[in-house]
Formats: sequence, structure tokens, C-alpha cells
Amino acid sequence: MTARLGRRLLLVVPTLCGVLVAAFLLLNVAPGDPVQAMVGERADSATIARLRAELHLDDPLPVRFGRYVLGLLHGDLGRSYITGRPIAQDLAERFPKTAQLALAAMSFAATVGIALGVVAAVRPGGWADRLARLTAYLGVSFPVYWVGLLLVLLFAVTLRWLPPSGSGGLVYLILPAATLGMRSVAVLARMTRGAMREALASDFIRTARAKGASERVVVLRHALRNALIPVITVLALDTGSYLTGSLLTESIFAWPGLGRYVLTAIEKRDLPAVQGAILFMSVLFVLVNLFADLLYAKADPRIAYD
Amino acid sequence: MPRFRHFLSVLPSLLACAGERPSASAPLVYYESYDPRSLDPALSTDVPTGEMVTLAYDGLTRFDVNGRLQPALSDRWTTDPRGLRYVFHLRAGVRFADSSPVTVAAVRQSFLRVLDPKSTGGRAWPLLPIGGARAYAAGTARDVPGIELLGDSAVALTLEQPLAVFPKFLAMPVASIVAPRSGVRDVETIGTGPWRFVSWAHDDALRYARNPGYWDGPPQAESLVVRIIPDQLVRAAELEAGRLDVVEVPFGETAAWRSRHANWLQEKPALRDVYIALNNRRGALRDARVRQAINYAVNVPQILATVYGGRGIRARGAIPPSLAGGDTTREAYTYDPARAKQLLAAAGLAAGVTLELWRAADNETLGRVAQAVQSDLEQVGIQIEIVARDASSQRAAARAGNADMAILDWWADYPDGDDFLFPLFSSTSFGPGGNYAFYSDAVTDSLLLAARRTQDDAARERLYRAIDERVYRAAPWLYLWFPVDLWAESPRITGWELPVIFNGQRWTGVRRATPP
Repeated sequence: MTARLGRRLLLVVPTLCGVLVAAFLLLNVAPGDPVQAMVGERADSATIARLRAELHLDDPLPVRFGRYVLGLLHGDLGRSYITGRPIAQDLAERFPKTAQLALAAMSFAATVGIALGVVAAVRPGGWADRLARLTAYLGVSFPVYWVGLLLVLLFAVTLRWLPPSGSGGLVYLILPAATLGMRSVAVLARMTRGAMREALASDFIRTARAKGASERVVVLRHALRNALIPVITVLALDTGSYLTGSLLTESIFAWPGLGRYVLTAIEKRDLPAVQGAILFMSVLFVLVNLFADLLYAKADPRIAYD
Repeated sequence: MPRFRHFLSVLPSLLACAGERPSASAPLVYYESYDPRSLDPALSTDVPTGEMVTLAYDGLTRFDVNGRLQPALSDRWTTDPRGLRYVFHLRAGVRFADSSPVTVAAVRQSFLRVLDPKSTGGRAWPLLPIGGARAYAAGTARDVPGIELLGDSAVALTLEQPLAVFPKFLAMPVASIVAPRSGVRDVETIGTGPWRFVSWAHDDALRYARNPGYWDGPPQAESLVVRIIPDQLVRAAELEAGRLDVVEVPFGETAAWRSRHANWLQEKPALRDVYIALNNRRGALRDARVRQAINYAVNVPQILATVYGGRGIRARGAIPPSLAGGDTTREAYTYDPARAKQLLAAAGLAAGVTLELWRAADNETLGRVAQAVQSDLEQVGIQIEIVARDASSQRAAARAGNADMAILDWWADYPDGDDFLFPLFSSTSFGPGGNYAFYSDAVTDSLLLAARRTQDDAARERLYRAIDERVYRAAPWLYLWFPVDLWAESPRITGWELPVIFNGQRWTGVRRATPP
């Protein structure tokens, strides 16, 4: 177990190095100039030249990369070109908000999605099954932006039950979490249903029934537990992507998370901010996947980590 | 189940806390579309930052909501006959938020920190006309001799060249006066403005409290919240839900809001141009006849009425009609495809030509305008390839002169004809300076300088009109329109007026409406 964990952790290092190099190269060959975003309209060439020198933008690419990596080794993500604020501090401010939203969206998706899937699997062709199928179609095919605006119109403008956007108490989480989790609900419901059907048809379920276990015990303890493996994979992947910020949902609901931070940074060509954010997100993503691997073992002891 | 039903019945009231009830002391709520860069005037490069700086600081001069120049921390100023030396007298008794008095030394220091060669602000241009400022900003001089302190209550600013509009430059946010004891972090700069900074949750909201000792009378409301809301439709929803006090009406919602909320709306011609820069140094566009043909070939009034929802005034020049020198009566390039074809034939392009039109991918409205222009030009044999890139890449290409055509807008920095001529058409402001058309004409250049030297307003207006006319005939742009701003003011407030310039609204006269 420990050895496996250690090996997986070691593999993280080349992954992150790759991300670092790729992100740096891509950002620096992309068109657009951070200095132009800093000076806005009507700048003179002397100012632009001075700022480029100040930010070392005219240095050769390898030198700039070396400087950046050196900073990283000292634990320094650098400062934003645009605002001058430390990037680590910016990320630390935004991440809790993104995590909050990701957690809410995943809890919503897991509860609704798995419940729908289980109910659908128990009585295939029944009303719950049909509802689950409809939910899955809608959830996968409707664009997030459209659904988000529709929810705002219904619950915030017409019914006035919930605030349209912003952050604050729990009420502010409901609409963005539902919007963000919508796709996962759909996928989870379908996955759970499929896996449950398979599990319910297995020999061990017949054995469980034969020994007189109640239907609740059969479904929840025996079938669901075995059906959970693929579901956990999906959950982990989605959590990973939610934790790295969701651009659209955060923008619609004015949620102050990582997604919007990266979007603004990209628009302004704030290179160190984008690089720092990508690196941070990659670390998160890798860690979440690692965690999911460990969860498999918990759900199914047959998966042995030598 | 009964318990559940009971829960359902109280749910709306539980959630109703979302739409807070208006009370007289509830904060005013304004918005920005993205997080401001900083609260330090020296870093004020964009509109959100400029608006936030305007709330908490004053300059020597300022603009009112209608864009008129007014005294601020300087209550009067004089100019020598050549327009080279300005003497600004400080208003007596004004104090910064940290209680220290506003002094001439603070004025000098405020300007020096903007010009500091180490500053990453990048927008020192309103102060660069001061004698010696350029050398100081470049790091080659240790002082700015053009700034001279006259005793305790006046500052003399001597310019390198006469500049009649210089007092308007000093109303820009970057020229705000900050307290000498300001801290190093951006939120620690201290001003004299009507509002005092309280807190800033990045990407979420900025909070301000009234400055009770404001020299021009304290704001009527106690506090002001500025929320950061990127999506325009959501902003509109926020106003309808009673959680935002003013909003720009989204383009797609124009008709709906005109019928639904007619009495909330305020409409004003904006100090803004929407235009397509034609690169005057590139290929076929070097020929004025081709550029004129483009102006004849596009049915601008129709595109304005349909694609742009009628929210604009057709442009016959670059100076907006509400500014001195603006002219909407001059003879226009009327829609005339036959004439366009003749001009193209005369230029040797009877067989047609292909040009690239660059647009910013995130601006959907201008994207549709670009498509309409493309379809009109196709009728006269000009094939347009639309290149959609993110705004930053589009600007970079246009600035470098790599785009044949680019659809752009130009926002006033200061309400004056000079701002719609000098940066846009002087050969000294190619590319990043604002002249995206790379228009170059020695006569225009000398007239522009003459206008800057002219102190008499009426004479300067005549010059602006003449320059605008001359440039219009040379057709460096495809002239489109001057947008008309359409905003909604919530019935929950009174006293807000739509400003024509971004730094013209200080929210001092706005308060919660008393419920009927």
C-alpha cells in the first residue's frame, strides 16, 4: 500500500514538470502582449519598452523559464503583472470559494444521481427509470450557460426565492451548485443504473436473497456497494475538474473562484498568474485522482495494492 | 408527509432573505464587470479601476456627469497667454482620509509617484506634458522641473508645449492626489474622495463608507457596495430582483426593457465611437478611393437600426455630436453601391479584392456588425474574411499593423474633441497610441498641434471641425456610429444620473427612495 502510494507520488513529479513546460511554452508563443493590457489605450512606445524591460519580457525564453522555475523552487509563484499582488495569495483567496462550490455541486450530484440510478435499476421501465433517463438526456445536452440563466430567471427574478448571483450564505450556493452538478447528475444516474443492473443480476445477489436478506439490504448493502466502483471513478474525475474552477458557472453566478481568476488572467495576458493557476490546478487534479485510487480499495477490498 | 408539506409552505419565506428589503440605510449597490486592477490611482489603466479611484480620490480638477470640467482640489487656476504655464490654487481646508491636510507637497509627490520609472502603472500620459516629466519617467532625470511649488497654496505646472486641454488631463484618475503617508499595498493609498474604502473581496465586492467630511458635502447614502458581476444578463436580473441599483440594459434586451421598464430607463449619447479601422498603409487600402468605396458600400443606417438595436447616432466624423466640434450634418457617405463600384474600378479593383476584418471574439454584438458589413461589401466585390480572435490578440494585431481592417470602439478619456482626433489620427500615435488606421497626413498633424495651442474655445472648435472634416474625406475608417447609452435606474433609488464619462459619477447625490 505505502509502496504503491510512494510510486504514484513519484509519478506525479514528471507529470507536473510536463504541465509546467507545456503551459509556459504555450502561453509565451500565444499572441497578445501583457504590457499592452497593462497600459491600456494610447500608450507611447517608450513606456511600453520600459515596462517590457522591467518585466524581463525581452529576455530569451530559456532564461525566463529558468527564472520562473527558480522562483518556484523557492516557493514563489511570482506576482501578477497587472495587479502586482502575489499570485499565491490570489489563489489562496479564491480556492476556498471554488472548493465550497465543488463540494456543494458534488454532494448534489452524488445524492441525486446515485439515488436516481438505484431507483431506476430496481424497477427498470418504471416511472423512476423513465425520469432518470429524461434527467440524463437533459443534463447532458443542455448547455450550462443556458440552464444557469434559466434558473436565475425562474428562482431569482420570477419567484424571488434565491439571489441571482454573488456569494454569501448557503442560499447563494443553491443555484450555482445545481447548475454545475447538473451534468454529473445525468452521468452518475446512468452509470449507477447500469452498474446496479449488472450487480443485481449476479450470483451473490441470488445468494443474498436465498439466505433471506431483506430487499433493502440486498440493494443497498450488496448491490450498491459492488456497483460503486465505476461511480467513484466518475465522481473523482468530476470533483477534480470542479475543484479546478468552473469558468462558466462562476461567471454566470459571479462566484469569486479560480475559474474566473484564470479567465481574467488569460484575457489580460497576465502570464505569471495563468502559469501559477495552471500549476496549482494540476497539483489538485493529480491529488484528487490519487485519492480516488485509494478509495477503490475501500469500496472493493479485492483491489489489492501490493 | 405533513411535516414536509409544512416545510414547503415556509420555504419561500425562509428563502426570502435573499431579496433584502430596502431600508433607508441599505447600501447603494453598483457593479463592475471585472475586478479592478487596483485602488492605487497610479495603476488606473482601465474603466473599472478608474471608476473605483473616482469614488475615493479627487484630482485638481474633475468632470461632472455631463462631462463638464469643474474645479476640485484646486478651486481656481490661471494660464499664461501662451498656454504653457498653469497655476493651480489649492482649495483651503481639505483633508485626506487620514486627517492630514492636502498640501502642495502632496500634489507634487502624487505626480512623481505616477511618473516613477519603477511604477508598473503604464498610464502616465496625462502627466507627461509637464516639462521634464518624460525624462523623469525614463529614469534619466532625478526631478521634474516643470512642477513648481508656489508657497503653501499653489502649484505651477509648466508644460513642454502649449496644451489647451491640459486641465482636462488632470481630471483623469491617474492624476488623483494621494496622501503622502499612503502605504505600499494598493488598498492603502489614501485620498480625499466622497467615499472611504472599507473592504475588498476580490471578484466579489468592494465596500465603501461615506466620507462625512467631504469638502463638497458628504454623500447622501451611508454606504456603497460595488459588486463584480461579469454576465450582463445576470446583472439585469440582479436589478429586477432589487439587488442592484443601476444597470446597463443588455443589447438583446433593449426592446423588452423599453416596454417593461420604460420609466426606469435613462438614455444619453455616449462619448464613444464604433468604427472599423482601415489600415491606410496596407495593400489596396492605401488608396483613398478604396476606403471611400467601403464607406459608400455599407448601409450603415440599416445595420445600426437592426443589428445594433438603433442604439446609436450615425457617425459623419469621429467627434461625438455632444462635444464641441462634433458635426452630424456634414455630407455623409450615403449608401451607394454603384458609386462604390465606380471608385473601386477607378482604383483598378474592378475584379474585386479580398481583405481581412479582425474582430474580438467575445464581443458578439460587434461580431454581428462585422457580418453585416461583410455581406454589404461582398455586393461590390470586396470579399471579407472575418478573423475572430480574443480581444487581446485582435488589438495586438491591429496595433502592429497586421490587420487590414479591425472593428473597434473608442472610449473618451476626457470629454474634448482633442481626445477623438489627436490619438486617433495623429501620425505620432500610430498603433498603441490609438491610431489603428495608421492614418498619416502632414496637414492634419499641423492642424492638430495648432488646436492644442489654441486657448480660445470657439477658435479651437472651428479647428476640430475642420480636422474632422478633412480626415472624414480621406476615409481612414469605415465610419459607423456613436453609441447611445441605455441604462436602467432601480425605483429603489433617486438622484442617479447616467454620466457621459466614466469618472463623472461620484454617487454623492444618490439615496434610497422613500417607499411610497
